[in-house]
Amino acid sequence: MEIRFTPAEEAFRAEARAWIEANKPRTPRPEDLRARRAYDCAWQRTMYDAGWAGIAWPKAYGGRGATLMEQLIWFEEYARADAPDLSTLFVGLNHAGPTLMACGTEAQKAYHLPRILRGEVVWCQGFSEPNAGSDLAALQTRAVIDGDHLVVTGQKIWTSFGHVAEFQELLVRTDPEAPKHKGITWVICEMDRPGIEIRPIKTLAGNSDFCEVFYDGVRIPLANVVGRLNDGWRVAMATLSFERGTAFVPEQVRLARRVEALAELARTVPGPRGTGRAIDDDEIARRLATFRAEVAAMRAMTYRSLSLAARTGVPGPEASLIRLFFSELVQRIDALAMEILGAAGLAGEPSAGEWPERYLTGLSQTIGGGTKEIQRNIIGERLLGLPR
Amino acid sequence: MDLTLSPEQEAIRDAIRAVLAERSPLARVRAVMAAEPGLDAEVWRAAGELGWFGLATPEAAGGAGYGLPEAALLFIELGRALAPGPWLGTVLAAPLAPRGAATEVLAGACRVAVIDDPEERLGAGASLDGEAPHVPDAGAAQALLVLGRRAVRWCAADARGVAIRPAASLDPTRRLARVGFAAAPATVLDADAARVRLEAAVLVAAEAVGVAERTLELSVEYAKVRQQFGRPIGAFQAIKHRCADMAVRTEAARALMLYAAVALRDGEPDAAPAVHGAKMLAGRAALANATDNIQNHGGMGYTWEADAHLYLKRAHLLEHTFGARAVHLDALAAPWRAA
Repeated sequence: MEIRFTPAEEAFRAEARAWIEANKPRTPRPEDLRARRAYDCAWQRTMYDAGWAGIAWPKAYGGRGATLMEQLIWFEEYARADAPDLSTLFVGLNHAGPTLMACGTEAQKAYHLPRILRGEVVWCQGFSEPNAGSDLAALQTRAVIDGDHLVVTGQKIWTSFGHVAEFQELLVRTDPEAPKHKGITWVICEMDRPGIEIRPIKTLAGNSDFCEVFYDGVRIPLANVVGRLNDGWRVAMATLSFERGTAFVPEQVRLARRVEALAELARTVPGPRGTGRAIDDDEIARRLATFRAEVAAMRAMTYRSLSLAARTGVPGPEASLIRLFFSELVQRIDALAMEILGAAGLAGEPSAGEWPERYLTGLSQTIGGGTKEIQRNIIGERLLGLPR
Repeated sequence: MDLTLSPEQEAIRDAIRAVLAERSPLARVRAVMAAEPGLDAEVWRAAGELGWFGLATPEAAGGAGYGLPEAALLFIELGRALAPGPWLGTVLAAPLAPRGAATEVLAGACRVAVIDDPEERLGAGASLDGEAPHVPDAGAAQALLVLGRRAVRWCAADARGVAIRPAASLDPTRRLARVGFAAAPATVLDADAARVRLEAAVLVAAEAVGVAERTLELSVEYAKVRQQFGRPIGAFQAIKHRCADMAVRTEAARALMLYAAVALRDGEPDAAPAVHGAKMLAGRAALANATDNIQNHGGMGYTWEADAHLYLKRAHLLEHTFGARAVHLDALAAPWRAA
């Protein structure tokens, strides 16, 4: 067991740190979605031009082809420098791109991968439906073959950045007679095709980062199918392991920084009785200290998981432990921030900073990408071998 | 960076696990706990022959020359097996004991109980005075290792001025004793108590990880075979999700404990906070898992006959060995609370 990195890896860290520090955007990300998209794309292009784009992508597809340890180091430095998260480009870089690499045709790969990597296109996900959330395989959006096209009718929901995306990874039911996992197809959908209607959904935090998407006889060429017809479930699952690798490292490092920031806040705002400093309250101090230990544990879990993956070549199911631990920890930290802020947080006073908004958006942590209940099922069934 | 066990470390773990499974199954632990002196002399002798006490002692001092991480692997196994005896003090003392005693400690012929005295209620010099009220396994020890604020002291258990009286213990597999000193002669050892205390906390955390691991396994095994309503109870989300939470706690504690062991070995700047966090999380995981394990076993879990209560009682003992939760949390919060 060893927690030090090799001299070559430390040299890589120094190079990454210097480059990020010199090149990261100096202005905050804009609120307006269109401006935000432009901001994300420009930053991605900057990374691309310097050879840092697609850190986890193989060299054959234009990526950096970094080792798992280098990816870890890159993301640690990236988050430490407070460089912007992938945001609108997340689905393309971490989901659609890897899916195309694993299952796409040469033509699909040649067209899409460079555009994703250069930050020229935004992808969104068309998986969930009003009646297919945790039970994703129950999806009902229909696609019938008409000549060399699929004709799609139905509805998707919780589509993040759907209103600024060019492409969508769309799951449709092409064989309604087959068992539910067998009749699904994964298809690339251009978001400007006739018959698509996008309606933003306002979240409880007041923003509209995600949408409903309606399809009314939308014609998509069969050439857009990724993998085989009716094989979409396998295609969708193929990239889960990619996401389980290093994709969440930046969020984890940011969380560690947030605990330190919250402790700093507790040194400056009054305690629960309106006197002294919040940090002088034993309960607050000990809860903060618990978080300090928990973010350290999360990092150690990630280190263990990645060193195991580096040895075996595949990320293991223990990544679902980290995911669950992380999502609930985020919410505990945000909830304590609201307590420390007191009524000043409710009033949105300057001392509250971004905490109230983070607290509200953080409520999605245990819902999106698999609810915490689904995560517990995965841990129970796949890791512990409990019966379904 | 590699936080997985090397093939050699896996071999160490497997060998220890196999020996304990064969020689110290829980049926044997139950027999041992009901008789004097509350430990298994044969297991103890075997541990000495196999070099377990000297795992983290340098080769030049007669040990195996491994480090704290390997000793932590031993303590995970001791926690899983609920092995009785003063393992902690003996392993800590192996590289520190005075000339003459060291060989006996390594061989298991001299058992050592450790006393945590950070406030130096027992003084700090060449004689010990005062009372340590709850010392694990002191009744079965031939020597005492006293960790003060800075000084580490050694005292023979049968020295004049030392009175060791048995005390009640909630944990039947680990006895407590009241140790009184009246001008007892002590040897000041060449060691830093603060560092030894951190090593001790890692090893106690490792033992707690063992309890958390084993209670998780017992719950999962039981949930697969116990049938109610015509299904294994593990198919019900109330049980399945509780087991998932037990697994998350265990992995968080295990990962941070191993990290802390390596960081302390290598003198990393974040070693101390990692140790505090590991002891706190491991103690919490052991208590929570042992409690959940009783619930998962239903009525059987509430009986003396089932082993579930033994893990819970050990978890409580470990929680109060080398600093309860609040002690370690306060250490973690201290830099924030400074003016």
